[in-house]
Amino acid sequence: MTVTPVWAQQHQVIDLLGRSMSVPVNPRRVVALAPNITEIVYALGQAQRLVGATTYSDFPQAAAALPKVGSYVHLDLERIVALNPDLCIAIKDGNPIATVTRLESFRIPVYAVDPKNLKSVMDTIMRVGILLQAENKAKQLISNMQNRIQVVAERIAQADHRPKVFFQIGIAPIVSVGTNTFIHELIEMAGAHNLAAGNIAYPRYSKEQVLGMLPDIIIVTSMAREAAFERIRNDWYQWQDLPAVKHQRVYIQESNLFDRPSPRLVDALETLARLIHPELFEDSL
Amino acid sequence: MRATESNIIKRLIKVTGVLLVVLVLALLIGLSIGSSGSSLTALWNGLSRSESSDSVLMTILWKIRLPRVLLAALVGGALSLGGLVFQALLRNPLAEPYILGISGGSAIGAIVGILLGFSQFPGITLTSFGASLATLILILGISAGQSILRKNALLLSGVMVNAFCSAVIMFLVSMTQDTRLHNIIFWLMGDLSLGNLQHTIILALFLIPCFVVIFMYANTMNLMLMGKDMAQSMGVNIRRANLVLLLVTSLMVSACVSQCGLIGFVGLVIPHLFRLFLGPDHRLLLPACILGGGAYMVLCDLLARAIPQQGELPAGVITALIGAPLFIYLLKRSNP
Repeated sequence: MTVTPVWAQQHQVIDLLGRSMSVPVNPRRVVALAPNITEIVYALGQAQRLVGATTYSDFPQAAAALPKVGSYVHLDLERIVALNPDLCIAIKDGNPIATVTRLESFRIPVYAVDPKNLKSVMDTIMRVGILLQAENKAKQLISNMQNRIQVVAERIAQADHRPKVFFQIGIAPIVSVGTNTFIHELIEMAGAHNLAAGNIAYPRYSKEQVLGMLPDIIIVTSMAREAAFERIRNDWYQWQDLPAVKHQRVYIQESNLFDRPSPRLVDALETLARLIHPELFEDSL
Repeated sequence: MRATESNIIKRLIKVTGVLLVVLVLALLIGLSIGSSGSSLTALWNGLSRSESSDSVLMTILWKIRLPRVLLAALVGGALSLGGLVFQALLRNPLAEPYILGISGGSAIGAIVGILLGFSQFPGITLTSFGASLATLILILGISAGQSILRKNALLLSGVMVNAFCSAVIMFLVSMTQDTRLHNIIFWLMGDLSLGNLQHTIILALFLIPCFVVIFMYANTMNLMLMGKDMAQSMGVNIRRANLVLLLVTSLMVSACVSQCGLIGFVGLVIPHLFRLFLGPDHRLLLPACILGGGAYMVLCDLLARAIPQQGELPAGVITALIGAPLFIYLLKRSNP
């Protein structure tokens, strides 16, 4: 009789899309198919299991050194297979379903998650934590996130007004965020009103429309460097009558904090709350 | 007459033999190089299955690279053949499915099919075919007002139809925020990266009958090159030949477009190359275009995979980088 070594034992799990699959009890060669998955695995302290990540997985810095398997929307099948993974973790929105299907046809289990707001990020952390034998660390991470969210919520409850925020994630064309996005959730939790709230997830705007909405605050996220930041700010500062310009409230933020639903969403929430209601955070700055 | 017949058969055997070897070599090179590394010895081990223990290598060779190079060969052969047929029927050496906007039309059809939630076969292929036929009729209609074979009228209508198709595609992409269209930009430039064996086999079952039908018209195409009256006096039913060939070619092009997106200029480069070497006889040109076009596409796709340090280029970028300058050169030469 042969005894299966511990590391080769498999068990059935159900991923966050409800799909059942067999995965190693102790996965040792994991490929993270999106930057936020990489962040989650690092946050869980399980980086030693990672053998590959996607092109823009740049946080934490150590992740940049992992072998790359293409960008999350255009995965390089051959590189993934060459890493001989015993588990891939995919995201529902973004990873092409065709690539996932083909990985599964090669008997590589693909565990899909769907982090898209604070709650589902915490769910994802919990499930990935269990998957990677780091359940306690996951619980700890989640309770830490919840505490920090609670602190922000208590402060914001004291706010006497909700400024109108225009959150700009695209420069040309101008793109903002609708109701069904995690940035919308963060804006509302940070005590502001999202001017682009609505059914369209990533609505496009003309400059005229933005000016017409009279935003109190404009927040721009960009991958661009300092010089480009200045240009974007000066572009808005031409419009002196805009409330956001009158009160010098055009802020520019690094995009990688705001473009992926990762554990750092709480950092993003704290950053936003301080930008929107600095008066409530004067003691803790 | 007998002598030329056997002469043709000899040349045919020689040409197909040489090109078959070229195609097989291209396929082997394509199999041996990939984003995870390249090695001929690894390929040899894979081929001889001597080290069957390395299942990762086996998966990469047989399940990732093989379907991809076969798909490239099929599509390259079909697109070259498409170019050759259009050039013969329209008696215009610069006619090609992509340049005439037929591929653009198929792309619109395919996108509509994707948005309607159809499956690849037969749904998307059929919407793509419908749109390509509509485009073909449109182009022939526009250029028919002036004598049908006026070269510039035809090419200009093609350019305009192409511009219009790109605008419609961008319009559709802008109006929808559909995640199924995430990869559309890649697909629009020709993408072979997701070829799997099942799709490749279905495409082959679809294309090979098209090849056979076109082969049956090889002699007819030769006669048609000599002019309408001449061909008719030799007993060619021009209307029927035109109809069958245009239909079959459009079907072939749409099947390729709905699978791999827009890959241009292959149908220009390959037929020109072979006409230069083999002369105007379609009995030789047809098999030469299929085999040579297949090898060419495999190598273009190989460059698309090998050139960038990270990720890969769409294959259509390579074919356009090679084909567009050639088109300009040919246009300049033909209009001194």
